[in-house]
Amino acid sequence: MRENKLIQYLILIHWTLFYATTVIDKIVPDVYPLWVGADFYTLFIKFFASLGLTDPIFATVALAGISFLEIVAFVCFLFSLLNLYKGKDKISEQWFYRGVSFSVLIFSFFSIGDQVFGDRFTLLEHTIFWIILVVSWVVYKYNSLTEERVFTFKLSKDIKIGLLVGVLLTIITSISLFNFASDTFANKTEPVQGEEVVEGVHKFDFPFLGDKITMENTLKAFEENNPDLKVNYIYTGPDELNSKKKTHMLLYVFTEKR
Amino acid sequence: MENKKLDITNKIIGKDLIRYFILIYWILFWLLNVVDKVIGGAHFLFVGKDRFAQVQRFFDSLGLGDPIIANIALIITVGLETFALVFFCGALYHFAKKNIDATCSWFFIGIALTLITFTYFSVGDQVFGDHFELLEHGLFWFIGLLSWIIFIRVDKIQIFDNFSIGKKQFISSTVLVVAITAITTFSIFWHNHTSFVERTQALEAVKVTENKYKIQFPFLAGSKAFENSIAKFKTDNPTENITYIYTAPTPLRLGESDGLIIYIQTEKK
Repeated sequence: MRENKLIQYLILIHWTLFYATTVIDKIVPDVYPLWVGADFYTLFIKFFASLGLTDPIFATVALAGISFLEIVAFVCFLFSLLNLYKGKDKISEQWFYRGVSFSVLIFSFFSIGDQVFGDRFTLLEHTIFWIILVVSWVVYKYNSLTEERVFTFKLSKDIKIGLLVGVLLTIITSISLFNFASDTFANKTEPVQGEEVVEGVHKFDFPFLGDKITMENTLKAFEENNPDLKVNYIYTGPDELNSKKKTHMLLYVFTEKR
Repeated sequence: MENKKLDITNKIIGKDLIRYFILIYWILFWLLNVVDKVIGGAHFLFVGKDRFAQVQRFFDSLGLGDPIIANIALIITVGLETFALVFFCGALYHFAKKNIDATCSWFFIGIALTLITFTYFSVGDQVFGDHFELLEHGLFWFIGLLSWIIFIRVDKIQIFDNFSIGKKQFISSTVLVVAITAITTFSIFWHNHTSFVERTQALEAVKVTENKYKIQFPFLAGSKAFENSIAKFKTDNPTENITYIYTAPTPLRLGESDGLIIYIQTEKK
């Protein structure tokens, strides 16, 4: 197979999956088992409310319009992929061009919205996707016009060595991952051990797996182990105090003698 | 079709260098990703990212709390990353041996694995609803694609092949570099000499109202500075009991490049 064609497949698979998941995210608007996604409805409602358009019809219509464009883009990429698979390169290229055009339109709309709603970070995000799409099209198109290398995968000696090294490294890393997982999974629920950093002030370094259950178990264990202390106040250490990035969360518990 | 050999000669140092940079970048990128997974957790000289915690929390949010699911997802990731690393290493080896055809084949597989990895991540980001990571992975996917284009098409780019610098320009540029480096280094060392203490130093609380005090932390302050400041506050105000600490949110500290600001509320013991 030609290398250019393989790259075209990879580009198409990427954008088809990108839009497939984007469309699913709109069909499944809330959090369900096996799907979390982003809550675009809430986002749109808040954006339009900030403009003074509190009626949900504005957000709903805008979201439906964007979803329509995304569905069209998805269908274009899907058809492009299917036609490439069938060997109809010209038709595939036409569908890809349509998909890219719709996508560029979508991200242009998003960017206009970001400016209106004053969301500069999202503006950056959408502009980056916009340029990635344009360059994807250039790569897809430009490669079909230039010289072509044939991708051949022969099990030569060096490839065999490469595969062997890859398998060994994967096994070693997987064993390490399994060990780490079994060593740390208990952190999800186990109470965190605190230390008294100032008289009456106890610090708890929460691990990355720690969540609300860890916090509740930590407080329970702390009160059980220190029956003479009364918890007056709990303070969450802000990120500025946690610059080492080694700890998920810092928690300070202020106490006094009963 | 017969593969065409790329026109690389010893004269085209710049083009060779660009290819070396691309190969070395991707080797280091995947090597450190793999090392991060082998080490796991924060250790002396390596903090890295706790991927198990991250992926486990992601799957937990889907209702798949069993750690085996996170482990399987991570093993697929590790497989892709490891093979990408191996193929980039092979490409570098062949490139050093001037075996251009083999270099391109190994590099292509490395790039294909890189693109597959980031597509796989992007799908996950959509499912888990993490749009910041989606942007990050989309960008890496794009950089991988561009790397491949530049690597195979660098011969088509007009590039100078003379790296020599004239004596006069060499001397003046060296003097400039040495002078600016000396000034910058002195400035950095002086800042270290005067400011490192801020990392742990206790700060004075300023009374704002009858029972509310403000502490302004410098940027360098860490958790020790906070703890020492609280200890100092308690020592300085033995009759006061801390009942609440309010962290000033970012919008309230945009002026004067404010770092962390906290307000302490107290009551008489």
